[in-house]
Amino acid sequence: MTTRDYQPLLLKNLHRYDSARLSAYEQSGGYLSLARALKELTPEQVVEEVKASGLRGRGGAGFPTGLKWSFMPKGPGPKYLILNADESEPGTFKDRLLLERDPHLVLEGFLIGCYAVGCNQGFVYLRGEFVEAYRILKQAVEEARAKGYVGKNLLGSGFDCEITIYRGAGAYICGEETALLESLEGKRGHPRLKPPFPAQVGLYGKPTTVNNVETMANVPLIIERGGAWYAGIGREKNTGPKLYCLSGHVPKPGVYEFPLGIPLKELIYDHAGGMLRPEHPLKAVIPGGSSVPILRSEQCDVLMDFDSLVAAGTLLGSAGVIVMDDTVCMVDALLNLARFYAHESCGQCTPCREGTGWYVQILERLERGGGKMSDLDLLVDMSDRIQGNTICPLGDAVAMPVRSYVMAFRDEFEYHVTQKKCLTAAAVS
Amino acid sequence: MPESPTEQVTLTIDGVSVTVPKGMNLIEAAKTVGIAVPHFCYHPNLSIAGNCRICLVDIEKMPKNQIACSTRVAPGMVVRTRSEKAVKARQGVMEFLLINHPLDCPICDQAGECVLQDFSYHYGTGRSRFEGEKVHGPKGVDLGPHIVFDAERCIKCTRCIRFCDEVTHSSELGFFNRGDHAIIGTFPGRQLDNAYSGCTADICPVGALTVTEFRFKQRVWFLKRVPTVCSGCARGCNVDLGINENRIYRITPRENPEVNQTWICDEGRLSYEPFQKSERLGGAQAGPTAGPSDGAARPLAPGAAWDEAAAALGEIARKHGGEAVAAVTSGHATVEEQAALKDLMDRLGAEKIALPLHERGEDDALLIRKDKTANALGARLVGGAGARVSDLVPAIASGEIRGLVVLREDPLGEGGEVVAEAFRKLSFLLTLDWRKTRTAAISHLALPVCAYGEMDGSYLNFEGRIQLVRAGLLPFQESDPAWKPLLEIAHRLGGGEVPASAREVFRSLAARRPFLARLDTPAVGKMGVRLDVGTV
Repeated sequence: MTTRDYQPLLLKNLHRYDSARLSAYEQSGGYLSLARALKELTPEQVVEEVKASGLRGRGGAGFPTGLKWSFMPKGPGPKYLILNADESEPGTFKDRLLLERDPHLVLEGFLIGCYAVGCNQGFVYLRGEFVEAYRILKQAVEEARAKGYVGKNLLGSGFDCEITIYRGAGAYICGEETALLESLEGKRGHPRLKPPFPAQVGLYGKPTTVNNVETMANVPLIIERGGAWYAGIGREKNTGPKLYCLSGHVPKPGVYEFPLGIPLKELIYDHAGGMLRPEHPLKAVIPGGSSVPILRSEQCDVLMDFDSLVAAGTLLGSAGVIVMDDTVCMVDALLNLARFYAHESCGQCTPCREGTGWYVQILERLERGGGKMSDLDLLVDMSDRIQGNTICPLGDAVAMPVRSYVMAFRDEFEYHVTQKKCLTAAAVS
Repeated sequence: MPESPTEQVTLTIDGVSVTVPKGMNLIEAAKTVGIAVPHFCYHPNLSIAGNCRICLVDIEKMPKNQIACSTRVAPGMVVRTRSEKAVKARQGVMEFLLINHPLDCPICDQAGECVLQDFSYHYGTGRSRFEGEKVHGPKGVDLGPHIVFDAERCIKCTRCIRFCDEVTHSSELGFFNRGDHAIIGTFPGRQLDNAYSGCTADICPVGALTVTEFRFKQRVWFLKRVPTVCSGCARGCNVDLGINENRIYRITPRENPEVNQTWICDEGRLSYEPFQKSERLGGAQAGPTAGPSDGAARPLAPGAAWDEAAAALGEIARKHGGEAVAAVTSGHATVEEQAALKDLMDRLGAEKIALPLHERGEDDALLIRKDKTANALGARLVGGAGARVSDLVPAIASGEIRGLVVLREDPLGEGGEVVAEAFRKLSFLLTLDWRKTRTAAISHLALPVCAYGEMDGSYLNFEGRIQLVRAGLLPFQESDPAWKPLLEIAHRLGGGEVPASAREVFRSLAARRPFLARLDTPAVGKMGVRLDVGTV
């Protein structure tokens, strides 16, 4: 099967104009998986099925979802499942599409998740800027409640599950799961120290699991068709369908669904229409959202899955594929990213708080033509001192691209130092 | 192995085998074998924040450095604080911390006791690669009546925030803005004005929070630290006096987990101010021989004063019996002084000893006691106090009591005209005080005694804990600890030799009091000893 023949599983309802409505969702078999889980499977069996599917978290870290659920303690007492709908990673817009166009798919998966971990109160942490998604999701929850999918005694199973939507106030850091918990508790979005992990001490001190929107959208499929069937999609240990967000210098940017492991170049050239302007060839690709190391064009013969991209020295991340042609100045691009991270650093821990602002100053200097050759080594050395030494992954998320841009495009950075201008502009003009 | 509080864990830190109780963090574990792990945000009496990252250590089998403050010991753990990985991270943190720091050490009050300075010296590289523009912030901001904030010096460790959240539960402080523009501040409409606000400056590792009253007063390296006990209330918080050139510049908490942990209240912190502002009694003064009056005072040499007092009190006791003599003891006096007054009364056959109460407000949940004297329990247990001043006044007015000794109290100043009226009838009024009080002014004899900070001695706090106060200042003019003149007078009435030091007074007292029997001042030490006062 070539990817051209691939029939979408996650986006299968999107062709309908009313895809966000419960009626449309039910017509395509919606909520049957929830019914099956509630009536035929124990929570443990749901967890086992998801484990068997090999589903890995689609938020960026790729942690096995079933395993994550199994960390939740059994027995009575409040437990929380949280839907992380704070999609904020630059270059990433897949969760928003699901929330706006197929909210019931996400909701059904989330409800099955709540059942699996024994959560009677689920929270949706929704990015504040997602105004339309909020309206749609709220409507979806109300529709689902009216049909007995949300609330008391779901479908007569005796299982109660309330869903509350909480809107963030606009901070990238609140997508980090422990900062999200703080924010959800009404506090400042500062990541927590781990351990303890949320599965032990989470929201309001209770066992908590946080799952990504796209991850949950896979769950109904797994319950409907079985973990074994699902595990046949994609590649070993990198199973299932995946949403890829294509942006940048391609004629057809957008969200594409293919199995994990699709070749990056196939995604760009066969599906996104190749390069935007044929006279400007591919220069670089960020394969997994702004936080991951960049690939030079000659490194782009890679498969888009968790393990293949790690082997290539980068990460699948959120699968935000940002395509850059040869008009992009890497110093400028990195400065743009550094400004984002400096703005979004929560300010809590030293290396990230101080380092992100320092990055910006150095990159601004380089961009202006006032940089020094030692600045390039300094950027890399700072990255070594930030990465792995911060409370949360935001430090890594800025250190990785900085190091990779400077190392992969050292010639361009050096040109900025020696010639005090852009190599790109010189080459392009 | 069953879990118990005494369960021990053995691990290796920098090649040294360490055995410590389960649950201990790596900073504390390393401390037990003399290995210092640097830390800014960690404080043993606050929750773990883990934000400064200076305590990063390299732990075998862990891919990333771990912060020692929030990592608990585990059996067989191998920790390296000086591996290349740990050193590189630590130097990185030091460099990051300093890029936006003003480096204004020459004019910073914290200099000399600044953890940022010390760690920069020990763990930094001695140079910075930062060449940009520092982030600027507000300076000299009054956060409250006693605390001034410099945002540029702040390293955002959040100790101050956690103190106000977790210790005083008043939550005045918050963390605002993000990234390198993050700033500590008070919430809108709030002031940092809790009763313990000065502690935020103590725990501030840098010069971001300073105590208003101490700001720009002294370079800290000129201050001699004298370990003593606060005299502000019955808690007896352990403190250090900061003294230079015979003047107290500040009082800071000294750690004692059983009394005050690492805290003191603002009132105690500033309790040295009255001692500097009040008018002192410098030498012995005799009033007009005709009787108590406000007439001109006549200076006396100490020996002559003691002779005069002994003669006057002895004559009253001889003529009218011991019951004609009474005393007012004080919770402000040391145990030694209270005991000496009791000895004198015993020698005269006098029994009435009154104790004025100095109560204000209420006890709080942390340290503050409404009893504003440090040693009221001593006055009762050692000083023989059993009456109130109001019990004595009628007997004085009726002439039943003819001789009165007042130690470190001002019944006239507090009691008004009724007391003054009565006191004027006394045949002999002896006052021992450090101030020129109204009572001293009408006394037949007023003897100068040391103020707080000028003498050694001990206090018995409200829980029955005996603690030592220390002299850090020279006595003002001819002032003595009050036990000395009192025992000199007793000696002139046939009492024993006068001991040479407070320690000797304490020892002779301890020999006579069952609840003090086994103690000597070295055994009391800097931390004090909780006594079983029930067996008095």
